[in-house]
Amino acid sequence: MATPTDVTEVPRTARWFVAVLFALLLVPGVVGFDTWPLTGWRLFSALRDESQNRWVVQAVDGSGEARIVSLEELPLGYRHAEWPMADLPGSSEAHRRSVCRALADAVVKVRPDTVEVQIAEDAQRLVERDGEWVLTHDPEVEATCTPRRGEQAS
Amino acid sequence: MTRFRRWLDDTLWGPETAARLVVVHVGLSLLIGARVALGSYRQLADTPRALVDPVPLLFWVERMPPVWVFVALQVVGTVAALAAAWRRSPRVTFAVAWVCYLVLAGLRGSRGKVLHNDLLLLWASAPFLLAPVGGAAARLKDAWRSREPRSAWGWPIRVATVIIVLVYFLAGYHKLRRSGPEWVLGDNMRYVMLWGPSIGSPAWGDLARWVGEHVWAARVSAGFILGIELTFPVVLVVRRVQVLYALAAAVLHVGTWFLLGLDYWAWAITVPLVLVDWPAVAQRFSTNRVNSSAKVRRSSADQPSMPSAM
Repeated sequence: MATPTDVTEVPRTARWFVAVLFALLLVPGVVGFDTWPLTGWRLFSALRDESQNRWVVQAVDGSGEARIVSLEELPLGYRHAEWPMADLPGSSEAHRRSVCRALADAVVKVRPDTVEVQIAEDAQRLVERDGEWVLTHDPEVEATCTPRRGEQAS
Repeated sequence: MTRFRRWLDDTLWGPETAARLVVVHVGLSLLIGARVALGSYRQLADTPRALVDPVPLLFWVERMPPVWVFVALQVVGTVAALAAAWRRSPRVTFAVAWVCYLVLAGLRGSRGKVLHNDLLLLWASAPFLLAPVGGAAARLKDAWRSREPRSAWGWPIRVATVIIVLVYFLAGYHKLRRSGPEWVLGDNMRYVMLWGPSIGSPAWGDLARWVGEHVWAARVSAGFILGIELTFPVVLVVRRVQVLYALAAAVLHVGTWFLLGLDYWAWAITVPLVLVDWPAVAQRFSTNRVNSSAKVRRSSADQPSMPSAM
């Protein structure tokens, strides 16, 4: 026969601790907000389709050609720069400049011929062409800066 | 006492053996130690101040700490986790390892994006901060001798199980709340797979593309994921399916790594560690081995002796 549950064996402090844990887990969990490590657990909850807007950083070379720099090419500290970039609209001029400059410093190390760095909101679209999935881009520049020689935010 | 109250008490405070408590405690300690030791944290020290957006827990952090702080947290966390696994002041050392892990994971998440990779392990480990890891549960050898399940040893495992159940259920609930049945029935999973290479570095990109190009495969995958998440609470009512759900969760997260390149290894290991009664599995395995070797001995004793070759 199975051993019965004996709640009295569980210390009162443990029971209170568990009650607090569940409150901290359930309130943001049910409402759906994030205050890390409290979270809404909204993993992959948004629908994906063929298009999505991403924030990208572009390197402009001497000929004026702008090419997207994958954040994966930059050091680990820059890999999630998409989120600070997404906060740029409506933020202060000083903040926009400092984010752009921070990215420019890293971009110029992987693309030494860069004369200007652009932060853009890119309307990306997945399209199938001749059996291959191709990503099309339509970037709208939000901020620009020039590596090492000063910068300007548009 | 009502039937519901009895079920609730048993779900939260039900009895487990000391051996199971020690196995889960040691397993969580080693897993935390591995995450702390092997995680890419030091490289975060170079993050420019403008790209640092501290998580609410670390609200006072204005910039990433210098490398030596990351290294110190990793060293202290790893040593403490190993000490907990080796049963040296297990309650204190486990707490030290857990706090180091919490801070390191928080720093990793202080770059704007809400990261969930380490959260299940942190949450499922939290009840073990107060687990009774002295007495019979101090060492595995002693715990193995103590066969009788008790609520005193069971509650951390039961509470961790409920936490895991809630996490999966909430993940499914938000998919349904935000996207509805379209999450499964529409093209959602096709595009999750096709976009995959742009969000991670999948180990098996060709399979992700194959799933993305076959609507039925994408819908079956989505149905499997949402089905597992929404029905996870079943394990609290029918305990014998815990092993199945543990296996399904492991498949889901290992699959996520292969197809999308996302690191949910801590989830893939935590769930089976907590949900499966490993000492019982080991006991059943050794009993089966003893029985089958006894059967072999019996059957060879029943056979007539071979005539001498000479």
